[in-house]
Amino acid sequence: MTASSSSTSISGFLGRSVTSLRPRPRVNPRRRRELAAAYLFLGPGFLLFALIILYPIVRAFQISLYRWSIVPGTASTFLGLHNYGRALHDPLFWRGLENAGFYMAVTVPAQIVLGMAVAVLLNAHMPARAFFRAIYYLPVVTSWVVVSLLFRYLFITDGGFINGELHLNIDWLGQRWTAMLVLSILGIWKGIGWSMVIFLGALQSVPRELHEAAAVDGAKALRRFRAVSLPAIRPVIAFVTILLVIGGFNVFISVYLITQGGPLDETQVLLTYMYREAFSYLDFGYGSALAFVLTLIVFVLALVQLRLFRRPSEAV
Amino acid sequence: MVVGNPGRARAILVGRLALLSLGAVVLMIPFIYMVATSFKPNTLVLEIPPQIIPHHPTIANYTSAWTSNRFGRYFLNSLFVAIATTAAALLLSSMMAYAFARFRFPGRRVLFGLLLIGLMVPGMMVLIPQFLLAKQLLLLNSLWGLIVFYTGGNLALNTFLLRSFFQDIPFELEEAMVVDGAGPWTRFWRLILPLSRPALAIVSIFTFLASWDEFTWALTTINDPGKYTLPIAIALFEGQHSTSWGLVFAASTIAVVPAIAIFVVFQRQFISGLASGALKA
Amino acid sequence: MFERAIRATAGVLESSVPFSSVEVSSVMKVKRLNAVLVLLVLVGVTAGIAAARVTAPQKTTTITFWDAYSTGGAEVQHLEKTIIPAFEKSHPGIVVKDVTIPYDSLHQKLVTAVAGSQLPDLVRSDIIWVPELANLGVLAPLDQALPDFKSLSATVYPGPLATNYWKGHYYGLPLDTNTRIWVYNPAALTAIGASGPPTTFAQLKSMSAQAKAKGYDLYAESGTSCWNVCPWIWSNGGSVTNKTYTQATGYLNGPKSVAAIQMLVDLYKAGQMPGIIVDSNAGLGTYDGINQNKYVATLDGPWAFAIFAGAYKNTKLAGSLIPAGPSGSVSVVGGEDIVMTKSSKNKTAAEEFMRYMLGSFAQTQMARAGQMPVIKTSSKWLTKIHPYYATYLKQIANAKPRTPTPKWTQIDQVITTDVAKAFQGSESVQQALTEAATQIDGLLK
Repeated sequence: MTASSSSTSISGFLGRSVTSLRPRPRVNPRRRRELAAAYLFLGPGFLLFALIILYPIVRAFQISLYRWSIVPGTASTFLGLHNYGRALHDPLFWRGLENAGFYMAVTVPAQIVLGMAVAVLLNAHMPARAFFRAIYYLPVVTSWVVVSLLFRYLFITDGGFINGELHLNIDWLGQRWTAMLVLSILGIWKGIGWSMVIFLGALQSVPRELHEAAAVDGAKALRRFRAVSLPAIRPVIAFVTILLVIGGFNVFISVYLITQGGPLDETQVLLTYMYREAFSYLDFGYGSALAFVLTLIVFVLALVQLRLFRRPSEAV
Repeated sequence: MVVGNPGRARAILVGRLALLSLGAVVLMIPFIYMVATSFKPNTLVLEIPPQIIPHHPTIANYTSAWTSNRFGRYFLNSLFVAIATTAAALLLSSMMAYAFARFRFPGRRVLFGLLLIGLMVPGMMVLIPQFLLAKQLLLLNSLWGLIVFYTGGNLALNTFLLRSFFQDIPFELEEAMVVDGAGPWTRFWRLILPLSRPALAIVSIFTFLASWDEFTWALTTINDPGKYTLPIAIALFEGQHSTSWGLVFAASTIAVVPAIAIFVVFQRQFISGLASGALKA
Repeated sequence: MFERAIRATAGVLESSVPFSSVEVSSVMKVKRLNAVLVLLVLVGVTAGIAAARVTAPQKTTTITFWDAYSTGGAEVQHLEKTIIPAFEKSHPGIVVKDVTIPYDSLHQKLVTAVAGSQLPDLVRSDIIWVPELANLGVLAPLDQALPDFKSLSATVYPGPLATNYWKGHYYGLPLDTNTRIWVYNPAALTAIGASGPPTTFAQLKSMSAQAKAKGYDLYAESGTSCWNVCPWIWSNGGSVTNKTYTQATGYLNGPKSVAAIQMLVDLYKAGQMPGIIVDSNAGLGTYDGINQNKYVATLDGPWAFAIFAGAYKNTKLAGSLIPAGPSGSVSVVGGEDIVMTKSSKNKTAAEEFMRYMLGSFAQTQMARAGQMPVIKTSSKWLTKIHPYYATYLKQIANAKPRTPTPKWTQIDQVITTDVAKAFQGSESVQQALTEAATQIDGLLK
């Protein structure tokens, strides 16, 4: 840009004849076409995304800076970053973060490892492959309401299935960490099919030639997997990890249905707390602030993960 | 392709099947219990301890659910919205993913970062700003409004996913086409998309499910009972003081069918060797 | 056969541009995928057109009514199949659009509708939300809007009516009411050796010990919110706040309130009350527990009888007044009010429907569906519909409403959490209630 503007001014000053002798550094027409193509491909989708998602996010951020009055036309008090400061000093915020963090830390590795394991098993030619794939995907499509209720009944302390069959008396859902563990198990159960589907697709996309080459070199199946498949599907693994981390921190419906964040707010996670502050207590400013603090945490984690998973050759 | 003796291959296969079956049984138990309960009569509450086989199986819950207040209509509403959303999301997100994966343009990192942020902000806090936006766009109380918002809402995830897949396609293939004089649209349509069938299948499966299952936005924006979607219909079976769980479970089982059907249809795209042969060219 | 159709469609869609270096079969498969997608879209669009077809309304006034009646039960049936048609017949020119919303989501939908100015004409609102909605300024004050408000309000019970009062005005009229009575399994009562249900606090204590000896929990309570524990506080002469609802310190943590909660905590600590009062996942719910002969009784509304008749056919329920304390047997008022929004463009028609819902025809119809009526004249015929209503009528005569204030939900959460702490033992009852009262003072401002 700078080059062209300076050449214009020089040519204006000296007259075109002089500057036409110098090779003009101009944007390569091919590059211009590539740029145009890029924006054309990007345009429609990104405009819709900006409208439907980004613009409301900006408005939500605005709301977080106020004691927001929900009735249109009434004045809201500007609070600046007060809501954010309040969050950082709020013990329930920290508890929600810890609980969601625990859930994330337990469910993410489990879903990745188990999802990958099942995908590898279902990748090969074998009988009833489609049947097994559908079975492993079934939990993903089963309603959260239904499975939350069932898990609840499994883990009720006095009279539940688990305590009954195993002759235990563990207060599963009444204590903080056992309850979060049960919720995590539910999350893993429900999520394995999701990562399985993605890993399956990714493994399918690995060119067969790479496997053949490695096999010719004498590599056994496990070695081939580690040396060929895993590196080849690295961006997909990054994608899955990032999405699962987001999902982990954003756990909501199972907690809401099974423990309601209780007893005594022991199992509050960020989203259940946010929901109560905003929709029950009508404090949308604070709820929005909580949302953005969570977004910041998850975003930083995502950047870290993207960097970790980046191939040496590519620039993000 | 496995080089080795057939006996060993058979042992591996048996081991595979055994492992998969074990996992499948564990995963299926809650689903089996859901289906079993849907065939039990008069289930206002669930039995403790749970019983898998119903004593007096009946299809009354299914007939009740289906013939209840416009259930079939809600089913069709959801189907329409889900299919349209999937088609629109496929198109727009694959185009965006191609741009992110293949082109270098100013602002690429920033725009992708914005995409990620869109993925990370909890939906419930954007609900009211989106509601106000929908009102301005005259998209309230309409199935088309749902389609627009569901598509927009799924773009970030789908684009991110497809970009990860597109990045894996060897650039040499595209370079060959560039040499032949193919423009970006041709390369996109003739090379990238065909080679990304598994990825497109995944996007279809997930977008359909996301739209099919979505509850909060539909509940918030739809005020005409005739335009309710299936998740709302199922939630309506839950009462204030008690819930007929047999009815809810039956309705939920009905709701699972299209989601699984879409999966079964599209998982056929997970056929290996897609990219093979292309390298030879 | 399907395959052939797809192939044919794919063939039709095949473009004439020569292929590039990619395998032909791969492109064919893409075409097939395209074809499948197109077919699906066609099916989807047809379904959509069918779904979106709406009959054009005639020149009438349409009023929208949001409620949370359950679709599974008889309520929606009675409303949409009997009451509304009868109303529309007697009021030609008015059409009532009934929008049923799942109860758990109604408050959230109302809040969003307030923010987006998308409220309907009428709402069947839980009584505890009315002060909040009134405070937001979205409800029409009926004592000003309705010229016949005085005579209308005289036809309904005063307790439910009071739930509509906020800062000098009435913002709604009661629609249906309920209260909690002592609901028990007579067979279990006999099994523990009692001749009848407890009628005083003293009997509650002695019978709880009696039940424990026989392996029962006499009284199962499902939580520690005001709905659960306030009847005991009030029956003992205590209260949550002062009479003008401005202060909780000195009342919620006053000696009588503390003593009432202490009584329950003592039962819990003696192992005579089940753990579900603190943790809903500690054991069987009240219904399951009564049905499985673990619990003898609980406090509950009229729906309990309908539920047991439907799902627990082997257990016959009976009802009696809540065991009386020094101030008598005082229970808590529940129910729903019908409110009209300020933004309604059809206020006259909406008011007509409100009057109709409070008339004896509509109230009788809904009573058959299990909704306890609010009109005083119903005491004459209510017990004919369901005999168990007799005890409810007696109990509701002096039942108290929960504090009518916009921040009630938050206040209730404070009560729930702090009383639970007292049960858990992490704090004494006095400590817990004082903590709660201090917080509530702040919320009442």
